[in-house]
Amino acid sequence: MGGFNKLLVTIGRGVGGVVGTLYQAGRETVDTVIRNIIPFMAFISFIIGLVLVTGIGDVIANGIKGLAGSLVGLLIVSIVCAIPLLSPLLGPGAVIAQIVGTLLGVEIGKGTIPPQYALPALFAINPQVGCDFIPVGLALGEAEPETVEIGVPAVLFSRLITGPLAVVLAYFASFGLYQS
Amino acid sequence: MNLLAAEATVGDPTGVWGAIAGGAEYFISIFNKGGEVLWSLMGGILPTLVVLLTAVNALVRIIGPEKIEGLGRKAAQPGLIWYPVRYIVLPFVAVFFLTNPMAYTMGRFLPERFKPAFYDAAVSYVHPITGIFPHANPGELFVYLGIAAGITQLGYGLGDLALRYLLIGLVVIFIRGIVTEFITSRMMAKREGAAA
Repeated sequence: MGGFNKLLVTIGRGVGGVVGTLYQAGRETVDTVIRNIIPFMAFISFIIGLVLVTGIGDVIANGIKGLAGSLVGLLIVSIVCAIPLLSPLLGPGAVIAQIVGTLLGVEIGKGTIPPQYALPALFAINPQVGCDFIPVGLALGEAEPETVEIGVPAVLFSRLITGPLAVVLAYFASFGLYQS
Repeated sequence: MNLLAAEATVGDPTGVWGAIAGGAEYFISIFNKGGEVLWSLMGGILPTLVVLLTAVNALVRIIGPEKIEGLGRKAAQPGLIWYPVRYIVLPFVAVFFLTNPMAYTMGRFLPERFKPAFYDAAVSYVHPITGIFPHANPGELFVYLGIAAGITQLGYGLGDLALRYLLIGLVVIFIRGIVTEFITSRMMAKREGAAA
């Protein structure tokens, strides 16, 4: 009887643990969705509405058509985003990258930009990723103040090289993507 | 759904009043369109996202994020073979299991000279990973989703783009890690030279 009870307790604990974990994961997810995802969707929806209904979309389309529809244009975008003085300003929350991404998506959907440029564009609009966050990120990794002092310019200068390089890599990797 | 929608039974207002009324309709049409977009996002991506996030969050909890600490210690070793571990495997695993921004805490296992390069590699991966594993950075999904929306609108599948984004992302963070490590070591050497 004692053995049987033990078995019941073990099964009960195991099942309880798994259910508890799943429930906790669900709770965490809903929390993230309400706190982070839906507010951003609302904001993005407003921008898309504005772009589609007003003429702003066409103005932007003409502006980015030349830039986002060719390798050279994308390289220019990536170099601008990687300029060490600009990149920390463009970084916070990836808000700029998300807005530009959404605008490009609208233009790809309309056919202004060919779909195979989606991959290089993803890298072109994002060489500034995390450039606003370097001291905090390094602090999270328990870096010494001297490392932070060197790390900030090191990452910023590295982006000037690796930003455009990523676009070129993505450009060559996009061969055969959405092409018949 | 359609606030101030035009009534079909009477003629449109004219004159000054008509112009103002037309302006009002134009004004509200912006938000009607935005509302449609929001509705399609909430109905389209969101349910999948909720289920996926729940599953992956549960998986991470069951495996336990502390399991990856051993990998961090290994990646700290010098030598050429450890470069891919430090700037490909470790950032990927850190971003997958610890997500943005806790992934950067894995840097604490590395020597000071590798820390900026690891941060650079890890932070550069928080967007390429969202194409397939959105749980890693749910607050910044629209870098990928924004562009992906255009592809969906054209009627193409997203798998190809998401996978290529994920893989090229790995190549890019590897290069970024090496370049940043090189620049860091040069700057550290210069500083030591100046101090001596």
